[in-house]
Amino acid sequence: MIQALMSGLDLMWTPLSLGLTVLGVVFGLIVGALPGLGPLMGIVLMLPVAITLPPVAAMGFLIAIAVGGSCGGSISAILLRIPGTPLAAATLLDGYPMAQNGRAADATGIAISASALGGLFGGIVLIFFSPLLASFASQFAPPEYTMLALTGLIAIAVVSEGSLLKGLIVGAMGLLIATIGTDEFSTGYRFTFGSYDMLNGFHIVAIVVGVFAISEMTMQVASGGLNDRPAVGAVRPSFRTFLLTLKHWVNLIRSSAIGAFFGALPGAGGTISSFAAYAAASAVAKPEEGYGKGAEGGVVATESANNATVGGSLVPSLALGVPGDASSAVLIGALLILGFFPGPQMFQQQPEIVGGVFLVYLFSNVALLFVGILATPVFVWVLRLKKSYLIPVVLLLCAIGTFALQASVFDLWVMLGFGLLGILLRLGNYPLAPLVIGAILGPLLENNLRRSLLISREGFWIFLDRPVAATLVAANVLLILGALWMGYRRRQLKKKMQEPNNTATRSA
Amino acid sequence: MFKSLKKAMAVALIALCPLVAKAEYPERTINLVYPWGPGLTMSISQILAEAMSDELGVAMPVISTPGAAGTKGFLTAMNRPADGYTLIDGYVAPLVLQPLLGNADWTFKDFTPLHSAFSNPFAIAIRKDNDRWASFEELMAYAKEHPGDLRYSSGSRNNLPHMVIAKTLQGFGAVAQNIPYNADADAMSDLRSGVLDFAFINVAEYQTKPDAYKVLIVLSDLEGAKESFNGAPSIADLAIDLGLSGLAPMGWNWWLVHSDTPPERVAVLRKAMATAMARDDVQQAIKRLGFVPLKWDWDQYDEVVAQVQGQLTEMGNALKWEEEQLSKLK
Repeated sequence: MIQALMSGLDLMWTPLSLGLTVLGVVFGLIVGALPGLGPLMGIVLMLPVAITLPPVAAMGFLIAIAVGGSCGGSISAILLRIPGTPLAAATLLDGYPMAQNGRAADATGIAISASALGGLFGGIVLIFFSPLLASFASQFAPPEYTMLALTGLIAIAVVSEGSLLKGLIVGAMGLLIATIGTDEFSTGYRFTFGSYDMLNGFHIVAIVVGVFAISEMTMQVASGGLNDRPAVGAVRPSFRTFLLTLKHWVNLIRSSAIGAFFGALPGAGGTISSFAAYAAASAVAKPEEGYGKGAEGGVVATESANNATVGGSLVPSLALGVPGDASSAVLIGALLILGFFPGPQMFQQQPEIVGGVFLVYLFSNVALLFVGILATPVFVWVLRLKKSYLIPVVLLLCAIGTFALQASVFDLWVMLGFGLLGILLRLGNYPLAPLVIGAILGPLLENNLRRSLLISREGFWIFLDRPVAATLVAANVLLILGALWMGYRRRQLKKKMQEPNNTATRSA
Repeated sequence: MFKSLKKAMAVALIALCPLVAKAEYPERTINLVYPWGPGLTMSISQILAEAMSDELGVAMPVISTPGAAGTKGFLTAMNRPADGYTLIDGYVAPLVLQPLLGNADWTFKDFTPLHSAFSNPFAIAIRKDNDRWASFEELMAYAKEHPGDLRYSSGSRNNLPHMVIAKTLQGFGAVAQNIPYNADADAMSDLRSGVLDFAFINVAEYQTKPDAYKVLIVLSDLEGAKESFNGAPSIADLAIDLGLSGLAPMGWNWWLVHSDTPPERVAVLRKAMATAMARDDVQQAIKRLGFVPLKWDWDQYDEVVAQVQGQLTEMGNALKWEEEQLSKLK
């Protein structure tokens, strides 16, 4: 592997490769921060340009878009309470409260630093453990995915701190929404009401933009003060937040490992990994850390996880030729068009390309750190705009981004409909994040459960027959017991503190 | 009042007509509606769209509109104005199969063809170290003796590979359980890990991982298809006639427009697509991804697709047969 890296260095260390990687990061940050777009859209848009370039420069450009895009969504989540991509839905749980507490620059800087460090961790996993991780991931079949989806749903209990019942209600709503569309097993239509627009259900991005962005902008209008200029001081670029992030090194390593692991599992993805990392971090956190109220650790967990997922998803893509997610499927397509076949023989026959791709991935994370930190003042400047300027611009960007998904007016209606739902949920003090978790995990759980039972010749025993699935069953039982224990501990703490007013619910 | 207003407007429009410069088509972005999710195949459509965009001088983004076995993309495109600014990536599944299965109310004749695009032969494979069956006939014999015992995947359900495999199984009197997947990659992963007994495989998958699979039969009688799978046996080598030939058991697509599209615009699009398809870089890119560029021009559309339709109807019947056989086992 070291030899591959050395031979790839010549291909990576060129002005073209380096320049395009930096450009890719900048472009990725922009498409990530704009609600509705995201890394996949960015990669798809730039694929025709990339395939005219030398292979390592092309892959550097596309991978950098994925890296920047995975981080970009956190910026709007922190500053405006609007996740630019579903990947950042978990980041606003603590990122936005941090900004509200006057720490917008810190939150943004921590998100960027954690993304870069998580990405580098993912890169190390990619370089040194590709074959091992790919071989472990290949043991994941429908029974394991079923149990993994259940693990994700249990995370709802964690992100619904303070209102478990409300969180579960919203999570169930997300699961129900996920049933809309074509049932892939019977090929029948469910809840489509004769509308062809609904044959594939609702687009997750339209749901996220609606629930978070439209409802947030509406609440901002309702709260008045449209012409007030927020008192936000100027911010200078500072790498202090990098050190702040390193203070959470245990959380950083744990969350990055979770991210890389989920990335290596085809189909799991960054949204699930960021919620899982958040759930893990808040489960072991001390109550005084204040998760959900602006904890640095919350931002570190979610952002390091979703960027480590990018590196993780390249593991099956390059080592086996199996796409880890939609973005890596497009990356594999790019490699094939350029004349390379990802998989074991690529490691043997074109080690310099493999090494070059690994190096541009690592460099894109370093570039993310520098570009992101230097641009933080520009991001925070957004907060100094009057609401009367900011709100229309954000709404316009939401509409453009959502329309761009499928050039569909229907998606705009979905966005508005879910915006209305988001407003109602906020008014009732219901958390929003479980809706996204339910909508994403619903298909994963249902399809893999039904697939497992079709494959099984002995019904539900398939979940105990397979070692990894059985381990996950046991882990899920422990997690449920842990969630119950946490609830008990929280109630005890409240009693002890004797603060009946300290039961503020969260609406994100 | 209204009558006079209408008249005045009509007169004004007629008067303005000469002032409106007859703009050259195309003036703006042309969308290609692609009926599946982003991935490898979409990349090929993007390459072709990019080449066509060079010819036309306007951008040609590929809009992924997945859902309902491709029919959502078709419906989306058909509900847009027939002005030549929306093209349909007309894959065989939504174009011919879904109407045959009763899931769509159009026929291939309801569209205007521009040019054929590419085809994708596939095969039935088991994992490399599976030594239970030495040949395809042995696999079929086992499936016949143990009805419903084997698990296989064709990717999603009721798609072309599913129909072809069902027809093949029916030819041998063999019954196996189809397991649907919404991503082919997941099915391939489960085949490699031994969860599935056999599965369909396309050229790109085989060429990226030739050491992971043992190809038992190539589901095409075309010589080029055999070569793509390293000379594995094909349906042409079987002792029985499965009733599958030519393009019928393969994936393929034509680019289409709404049938009401103005003929002069259709002519512009046809010329641009034919030129793009003839480009060497486009041909090479399609081949590199394991697909075969198709050479049929628009005037061969009816003949080529009609030939396939008969066999596809038979395959649709094979799906029903498979369901009946499996329900008997419950």
